[in-house]
Amino acid sequence: MPGMLSGLRVLDLADQSGALAGKLLAGLGADVVLVEPPGGSLMRAIPPFWRGAPHPERSLFFWFYAAGKRSVTAASDADLRRLAAAADVVIETAPPGRLAWLRDLSPRLIVASITPFGQQGPYRDWRASDTVAQAMGGMLFVNGSADGPPLRSLGLQAYHQAGVFAAIGVVGALLARETTGRGQHVDVSLQAAVAASLEHVPGLFHQTGEIPSRHGTLHWTRYFRVGRCRDGWVMHCTLGDWTSLVEWVKVDRAAGDLGDPAWEDINYRKVHAEHLFDVLDAWAARYTVAELHEGAQLRRIPYAAVRAPEALLADPHLAERGFFVPIEHPGLGTVPYPGAPFRAGDAAWTVTRPPRAGEHDAAVRAEWRA
Amino acid sequence: MTAPLDGVRVLDFTWVVAGPVTTRLLADLGADVIKVEKRNALDFGDRRAGLSGTLMRGKRSVVLNLGDPRGVDLARRLAARCDVVIDNFSARVMTNLGLDYDTLRALRDDIVCVRMTGFGLTGPDRDHVSYGPTLQALAGYTRLMAEPGGSPSGFGYSYSDLAAGSVGALAVLAALWHRRRTGRGQLVDLAQLEVVASLVGPVLLERAVAGGTSEPTGNASQEAPGAPHGVYRCAGAERWLAITVFGDEDWRRLVAAIGAPAWTRDARFGTREQRLAQATVLDRLVGEWTSTQDADAAMALLQAAGVAAGRVANAADLCVHDPQLAARGHFPDVPTPEGRTVRIDGPPFLLSETPARVRGPGPLLGEHTRAVLHDLLGLPDGEVAALERDGVVVSAASRAT
Repeated sequence: MPGMLSGLRVLDLADQSGALAGKLLAGLGADVVLVEPPGGSLMRAIPPFWRGAPHPERSLFFWFYAAGKRSVTAASDADLRRLAAAADVVIETAPPGRLAWLRDLSPRLIVASITPFGQQGPYRDWRASDTVAQAMGGMLFVNGSADGPPLRSLGLQAYHQAGVFAAIGVVGALLARETTGRGQHVDVSLQAAVAASLEHVPGLFHQTGEIPSRHGTLHWTRYFRVGRCRDGWVMHCTLGDWTSLVEWVKVDRAAGDLGDPAWEDINYRKVHAEHLFDVLDAWAARYTVAELHEGAQLRRIPYAAVRAPEALLADPHLAERGFFVPIEHPGLGTVPYPGAPFRAGDAAWTVTRPPRAGEHDAAVRAEWRA
Repeated sequence: MTAPLDGVRVLDFTWVVAGPVTTRLLADLGADVIKVEKRNALDFGDRRAGLSGTLMRGKRSVVLNLGDPRGVDLARRLAARCDVVIDNFSARVMTNLGLDYDTLRALRDDIVCVRMTGFGLTGPDRDHVSYGPTLQALAGYTRLMAEPGGSPSGFGYSYSDLAAGSVGALAVLAALWHRRRTGRGQLVDLAQLEVVASLVGPVLLERAVAGGTSEPTGNASQEAPGAPHGVYRCAGAERWLAITVFGDEDWRRLVAAIGAPAWTRDARFGTREQRLAQATVLDRLVGEWTSTQDADAAMALLQAAGVAAGRVANAADLCVHDPQLAARGHFPDVPTPEGRTVRIDGPPFLLSETPARVRGPGPLLGEHTRAVLHDLLGLPDGEVAALERDGVVVSAASRAT
C-alpha cells in the first residue's frame, strides 16, 4: 500500500533543527532525499552511538531523524541546483536569505525554511538551539518547580514542533499549487513554533493579564499532580469520574474529608487542589504504580503511571498496534524504530533504514534525471 | 485570495484542546470548520478571545443535542455535506452515536474521518481514559523532565494536546492530498499516545540498542553535546537566560562577550570535552555572571557576539515585549461581530502566496446553528424554529431571547 504522499519528491537540506519535517514527509510516503556534504552530514557526529563508539554510520541521533530518507552527496552548487530543480519540495535550515536562489529555480517549487526566528524581523539573524528556542517561545517558563529553574523538555520539541508545522505548510502549499499552479515559501520560526504550541500561556494573558508561573507537577488547570506510590510515581487526575475515585478512597478508609459533597463540584476541586492531592498522595502511598494505574482505569478514572520513556518499548498496547517498526541494520542487528504517529486506513506509513552517506547517489540522479 | 483549503468543509466534533488545535489550523488554512457543540459546552471564559477564542478561532458553532435521535440525524446529514469529520472522544463514543466511519462512508464515499483518541481504536488499552498530562506521564516526559537525580517534574501544561493537535492537522492535509490524487477518503486512527511517543526522540533508540535506564539531565543539551548549556538565573525576580555553547568557536565568542574574566582562562575549560567534564563548575560560574545581568540585555549582548542565548520568556515577554513575534504578526488583533477587537494566537507559520490567517474570532455558542442548517441542509426557518423549541438544536439567537 503506497503512502499518502507517494510520488512526491522532497530534497532535504535541513540540519537537526528541521530534520523532523523530512522524516514526517518520508513517513507519509514522499521520496525524501537527504543531501549530505562530502564526508557526511554533521548529524552523523551527534551521540549517542551504537555501542558508544563514534562512527558516521552508527549515530542513533542520525538514525532517528534520517530513517525513511535516501541520501545523496552533493559536492557543488551546480549539483544542488539540478537536484532542487527536479524536486517538488525543498526543506532547508540555512540562515535567512542564504538560499533565496532556490525560489528562482522553478515557479512550482515549494521551499520550506526553518530558522531560529524566521526570515524577517529584528531577530532574523540571531542564533538558537533547541533549548534557546524553547526558552524564547515560552515553553520553559512554566515547567519546573516554583523554587527551581525552568526546565527544558524531553526531546528536541522546539525542533519537532517546527518540523510538524513545516510539514503542514508543505502539504498546504501542495494543495494550493493544485489551484494556483505555483509553489511558495513556507517560513517556519523555531520560536514561533514553540509559541504556537503552548496551551494556556498566551490565551490567559490576553484574556486576563495573568502571567502563568511554575507549579511543579501541578498542572495549570489544577486537576493533575504527580503522587508517590510504593514503587514509583503516578499521575493523579481529579477530572473524570469523581464518584468512582472517592468511593475507592473511602473503601480504603483514606478519604479524610473528601466524602464531603462539596468536592463533587469540579470548581471546588480546582480551588482546593493542594489539599485534595495531599489526601490522595497519602492514599496512593499504600499502592504500587501498577495497582493504581490499572485499578483506576477499571473504574474509568484517567490515572497513569509516570514511566521512563523506555517503558514504551515494552508496552503491550503499543506492541499489539505495531507501533515500533523493526529495522535491520546489516551487521549490527535489528532495531525497533518508533513508527507512525497516526494510522491511515488507505495508506501506509513508511519507516526504512537510515541511509549510508551517499548511498543513493546514482539511483536518485537516475530517477530524478538530475 | 486563494487558500490551501478553499472549498473544504470540516465537521468538527472535537472538544477540550487537542482536537480544537487540529481544526483551528484547518480554519487558518481556509477550511469552513463547523464545530458541533453541546448546549453546556466546556469553555475557558470568553469564547471570542483568550484561550477559548484562540482554540476556536475562525470556526462556526452549531449546537446539536446528540442525545436526541433527531440531533444525530442532523449530524449525519451535515457529515454527508462535509469533506472531513473529526472527533477526539474516547474510542467508543462516535460508534455508539452511529457516527463511525463505516456509517459516514455509506453517506459519502470519499469522506475523511479522523478519530483522535488517547490510545487508538485498537489494542488492549483502546478504552482507557486519558488527558494530556497522563499521556505525557506514560510516554516518559514527566519522569525525565527533572533536575539530575530529581523527582519527576514534567510539563506544566498539556504539550501532548498541542503536539497531537498539530499532527492531526498534518493527517487531515495528507488525507486530502491523497483524496485528490486517488478519489478515495479514509479513516485516520490517531492515538495521542503514539504521537507523543513518536516525538520522544533518539533516546528510545538508545534504550532499545543499549538497554539501561534513562535518567533526567536537567537542562543539559540533548543535541550536540556542549557546555555551558542551560538556563541561568539573572538579576530580578524570575528572570532567566538560556545559553547554548557547543564548540570552541561558541566558547570563544561567549568569553569575549562577557569580558574574558579570569576564570574563563582556566585550563580546565580549554576544550569541549574538558568543558563538558566541568559542566557543573561552568554552570555555577556562568550563573554568577548572569545573576548580575539584566536578562534582556545579556541576551542582546550574547546574540550580538553570535552566541545562542535567549531569555526564558513569560507570557508578557511573549505577548507584549517581543519585537520578533510582533514583526511576524504572531498575535493578531481580530475584529468581532460586536465591534470589539480581540488579540489571539495566529497561525504558526507564514505562507508567501496563500497566507494562513485567522478567519475570525471564536464563535459564540450556537452562533451559526441557523445559518448552517439553512445553508447546508436547506431547512426552512419554521423547521429550525421547531427544532429549537424541542431542544434538538440551539442557536445563539434563540438563547438570547
